[in-house]
Amino acid sequence: MGRYAIRRLLQLIPVLLGTTFLINFMVWQLPGDPFAARCGQRACPDSYISAMREQFALDQPILVQYWHFLKNLLSGDLGVNFNQVSVATQLADAWPITIRLALMAVAFEAIVGIAAGVLSGLKRGGFLDNVITISTLLMLSLPVFVTGFILQWLLGVQLQWINPTVSPEAPLSELVIPAFVLASLNLAFTARLTRTSIVENRRSDYVRTAIAKGMTNKRVVAVHLLRNSLIPALTFLGTEVGSLMSGAIVTEGIFNIHGIGGLLFSAINNQDFTIVVPVTSLLVLIYLVTNLLVDLLYGVLDPRIRYE
Amino acid sequence: MSEANEKTRSLWHDTWDILKRRKIFWISLVLLVLFLVMAAFPTLFTHKDPEFAELARSMEPPSKDAWFGFDLQGRDVYARTIYGARTSIIVGTLATLGTVLLGGVAGVIAAYRGRWIDSLLSRVGEMFLGVPYVLGAIIILGTVAPVQSNPTKTMIMGVVIIVLAVLGWPVLMRIARSAVIQAKHQDYVQAARALGAGPFRIIFKHLLPNSLAPILVYSTITIGSYIGAEATLSLLGIGLRSPVISWGIAIADHTRYIRTGAHAMLFPAAFLSLCVLTFVMLGEAVRDALDPKLR
Repeated sequence: MGRYAIRRLLQLIPVLLGTTFLINFMVWQLPGDPFAARCGQRACPDSYISAMREQFALDQPILVQYWHFLKNLLSGDLGVNFNQVSVATQLADAWPITIRLALMAVAFEAIVGIAAGVLSGLKRGGFLDNVITISTLLMLSLPVFVTGFILQWLLGVQLQWINPTVSPEAPLSELVIPAFVLASLNLAFTARLTRTSIVENRRSDYVRTAIAKGMTNKRVVAVHLLRNSLIPALTFLGTEVGSLMSGAIVTEGIFNIHGIGGLLFSAINNQDFTIVVPVTSLLVLIYLVTNLLVDLLYGVLDPRIRYE
Repeated sequence: MSEANEKTRSLWHDTWDILKRRKIFWISLVLLVLFLVMAAFPTLFTHKDPEFAELARSMEPPSKDAWFGFDLQGRDVYARTIYGARTSIIVGTLATLGTVLLGGVAGVIAAYRGRWIDSLLSRVGEMFLGVPYVLGAIIILGTVAPVQSNPTKTMIMGVVIIVLAVLGWPVLMRIARSAVIQAKHQDYVQAARALGAGPFRIIFKHLLPNSLAPILVYSTITIGSYIGAEATLSLLGIGLRSPVISWGIAIADHTRYIRTGAHAMLFPAAFLSLCVLTFVMLGEAVRDALDPKLR
């Protein structure tokens, strides 16, 4: 187990290097002048452009730039953006909100998704199963922003149960609906994965044995069936934490939440790559680390899986 | 007819038998035909010009002569919604085609060659998967799109199609790769190789036909999700732009008017969702019919 974890950690390094290089390359090397529109209608003075290019080392070859990026990232120095505001401070303001939103979304996915999957899997073909299957199909088909706008329009504008936009402090109560919207797609996937594995495992030998031993139905389901059926759903939830963060871009846009997504999006619109690069790199890191953690969790959930 | 051929036919035959008894399959098929006709011949559904704008009627609610009302520019929402089908279908289909070509070729090469080519392609795929979808699209489109000045409709759509395909191929590579690896060790492939068949013959005659089912199912669902992705990118302002007519743009243009004129947004959103739903339903119906485990 220990050796496996170390090997996986080492394998993470080339993927991380490759991905961050890709991001750096795409952002800094593709044609287009980041300072073209920074001075309003006029062209920027040459002195400004050359000073900026020097400060952000844009005249250096890509590999040198990338090396600076890595060095700064490892020493925890995220630098300043084009307006000379510290990137770290902006991140510190935005992170807590997005983390809160993402955690609530994961909670929705895990609790509602797994519960719906288990219920429909146990009563396969029944009324509840059909209702859940149809609603997950709808959730899978509605793009996240459509769900968002519909709920905003219905609950916020028509019924006035919620405030259509979230206030800057983003208290938990105001984040419930945005978190549900963010979770909707993965929630449907989780429910379906759980249902499929419950249906498959109900026919397995160990469940038959447990029933034959005279165990109560409750114990068979809760102890034997659930533990084995939850693995795919948990894997999925873990691997999707990373994409949840980027999905937050859309959700935060709809409900006007000042989190990482909003920060990233305005940075893209302003062509301020000094924020885009570290934020996307951090998101990728989160994504890869959660994937690793999920893989390591396998063995805890299913002792039959052995690491080599 | 050779034996391999007959076997393939009987799989499709089986699948068809199951499919034709499923209500959901027929519903999605009818909807699919409807959307395809809408995309090919929009004039069958409306005689109004989607570009014709009458500012005086801006944001007029639905009425008898304009079923879906008017948008911000005073254009007929119904006509624009009908014409939007073409854009969505083209973007979804071409992007999926690109994904299948890129991912399929990479997957077949990775699985067939194995060794270092396999690890290399798999690692590269992981790098692309490491960048979450929306994020990758934002990075590419945010840096590429401003470069074009006065782009034509084809250029705007082309960039979005390429970005969707470039970001989507690793998933398809995995599917194609595992399908080919499974088939590679089957006796009929070994036999073909023993008889002296070259790699191209083995891949095209034996491996591909047997890997087709999972790829087909995945691509049908992917067309749906790409249509949704295109709308999401357009909503964020980095996907399609005017003069292209698309549901995503229509929604994006009217998000700020959700309190006063939701009709200009809700109708395109309904068509968009229904279109995505059609492809997802169709793909799932075929998948369930192909997969004996779920029966």
